[in-house]
Amino acid sequence: MASITDFSGGHSGRETQWMLHFLISLTIVVVAGGYAVWQIMTLGHAAFNTTNAGIFWGLPIVLYDYFLLTSTGLVMVAAIYHVLGVEAFRPVAKRCLGLALAGLMGGVAVLFLELSNPLMALWATPLNMQTQSPLFWKILLVGAYTVLLAIVLFNSIKQPTVRPNPLVWPLALLALAITLVAGSVYGMMAMRPMWFGGEIPVVFLIESLVGALAFTMVFSHLAHGFRHDRMSDELRWLFEGPLARLFGALIALHFLLHAGRAVTGWWSNAEGLQVWDHMLSGPLFYIGLGVCTLVPLVLMLLPATRSNGLAQVTSGLLVMIGLFIARYEFIIGGQQVPLFKGSWVQTQLIEYTPSMTEWALLGLGIGIANMVYGFAAWKLGGEDEA
Amino acid sequence: MAKWGMVIDLETCTGCQACTTACAMENSRLPGENWQDVLFYSEGDYPHLNVSWLPRPCMQCENPSCVSVCPTKATFVDEGTGVVLVDWNKCIGCKYCMVACPYGVRFYMDEAPVVEPDVKAAFPGEGRRQVWNPPFRMPDEYADPSKGIGVQPKGVVSKCTFCHHKITQAPEGVADLDEDDPETREFTPACVRVCAPKARFFGDLDNPESNVNRLIAEKGGVRLKEETGNRPKVYYLSGGGSPVVPGQRSKRRS
Ligand code: SF4
Ligand code: SF4
Repeated sequence: MASITDFSGGHSGRETQWMLHFLISLTIVVVAGGYAVWQIMTLGHAAFNTTNAGIFWGLPIVLYDYFLLTSTGLVMVAAIYHVLGVEAFRPVAKRCLGLALAGLMGGVAVLFLELSNPLMALWATPLNMQTQSPLFWKILLVGAYTVLLAIVLFNSIKQPTVRPNPLVWPLALLALAITLVAGSVYGMMAMRPMWFGGEIPVVFLIESLVGALAFTMVFSHLAHGFRHDRMSDELRWLFEGPLARLFGALIALHFLLHAGRAVTGWWSNAEGLQVWDHMLSGPLFYIGLGVCTLVPLVLMLLPATRSNGLAQVTSGLLVMIGLFIARYEFIIGGQQVPLFKGSWVQTQLIEYTPSMTEWALLGLGIGIANMVYGFAAWKLGGEDEA
Repeated sequence: MAKWGMVIDLETCTGCQACTTACAMENSRLPGENWQDVLFYSEGDYPHLNVSWLPRPCMQCENPSCVSVCPTKATFVDEGTGVVLVDWNKCIGCKYCMVACPYGVRFYMDEAPVVEPDVKAAFPGEGRRQVWNPPFRMPDEYADPSKGIGVQPKGVVSKCTFCHHKITQAPEGVADLDEDDPETREFTPACVRVCAPKARFFGDLDNPESNVNRLIAEKGGVRLKEETGNRPKVYYLSGGGSPVVPGQRSKRRS
């Protein structure tokens, strides 16, 4: 008989699992979101630790970009089956699209609480046509992406078997464009040398893809009660073969790009790049690049661990955390060197620690993403059976 | 059509902050969040100490990065004056302009104050959007939210307007706005008007006869951070001495 702990593929066992997933996420949303909304309602933006001293974009923007890029990466992974026709990726195609929408919802919710006039953005952006602004393109592209992703998922829910969907073509192109534009938002800022550079959109693309594979690994195992042996043969083959190899290759690329930028930034004497010295003198950088990138890379390089379920889940989780640290250090670090801000900014670098409200937004984003995903899997058949 | 610009003579400036105070009074600014400020830099320890200062308004760039990045065109260049303004009715509070301004001269009011005590709390605003109600509030007839003039509301970004509400009343075709000229005194930006040692000059950069053009040419006016390509319309006269602003990295370690 199926029970709560029975994830073996029994229909009611899976249903119970996703129901629990939904309810736990809902609780997180109520607690974390309730606290954040209450703080924002009573204190306004004073509930955040961003100030006019120079850190204008804090943890909520880190979260938004993290969720958004994970979402676009997941669509690109789904496109490996839907667009490129690689049959091996069919077992995870539906899951990737579901996770993409869930992540997007979490990120957009956080952004809406951070922006002071988010609804105005919906009309003021398209009506004013500031085509020079990367943010103009990002807002338009994300709008189109959200609508198309919802349509694609609605279609897939109605169809029990996964078949190539031609709508994923434009969806994947939108995902690619959003990822590159999101990188340009920072990469075009010549006045902030820490961010500036043509390689930043490429860095974002690699991070988006590696993050998507990490989420695919963790959630595919979650769907099977973290039991590798309970996966279907085709899914297990994918995870032990092409997906694990691709994951390893992308982690290596991510490591090289990140370490390369750190070394050149640390070596350079240019004004504005001293933030690399600061980052390299703290533990977070080494946790992000060493523990959360090198360890999974080694695990995915060694044949024995590459095909091991526990090693895959560990690698996935570490990469998820490592990417979050990298995004945090990148966005905050780029603002730490004071410009001509004011006579009160006398420090070499501006300090920033997220407030409790900002951390609560992390809980809210994770909660909403998991709630959407859990509900779709529980009630709408939004999960791959494989 | 004038192209208004400013010249600041660093050899004459005493760092008294009268400009900062006048700007705050004229434009209903929150203490500490100064559209115009004088930044102080110190290197070394007493007695081997070097103190320098830099008056810093918005540079009113000709090629402003804050305008290029604004997704809603809330930040725009005013055609008649060349002044960069913010339309508070269109600003979504994304703060991209704050990130993109190389000179750090944009402000968002609803966060924790950068200096204590919190004056906003002492003079609370009314209604949904008013952050505070300063006792030295600008007369309502001058306020224009579509140009970012008046008491800054919640959720939007603000910046120096070159006292747009004053300079647009100046007689047509005038070359300079000078506090010593009774004809133009009233229309001179507040920071220029109160500068006791007369370190600030304001005029039309497109007018070859203007005093600001003469000063820039004769005394070698320089602009900050030329490498960004923003092309400020604020020029500094430094007497040809050391760089205007020490970079963080070029400072002597104390
Ligand atoms: S100094 Fe900054 S705010 Fe002023 S016009 Fe230039 S970029 Fe815009
Ligand atoms: S904060 Fe307002 S003025 Fe600044 S870029 Fe965003 S919408 Fe434009």
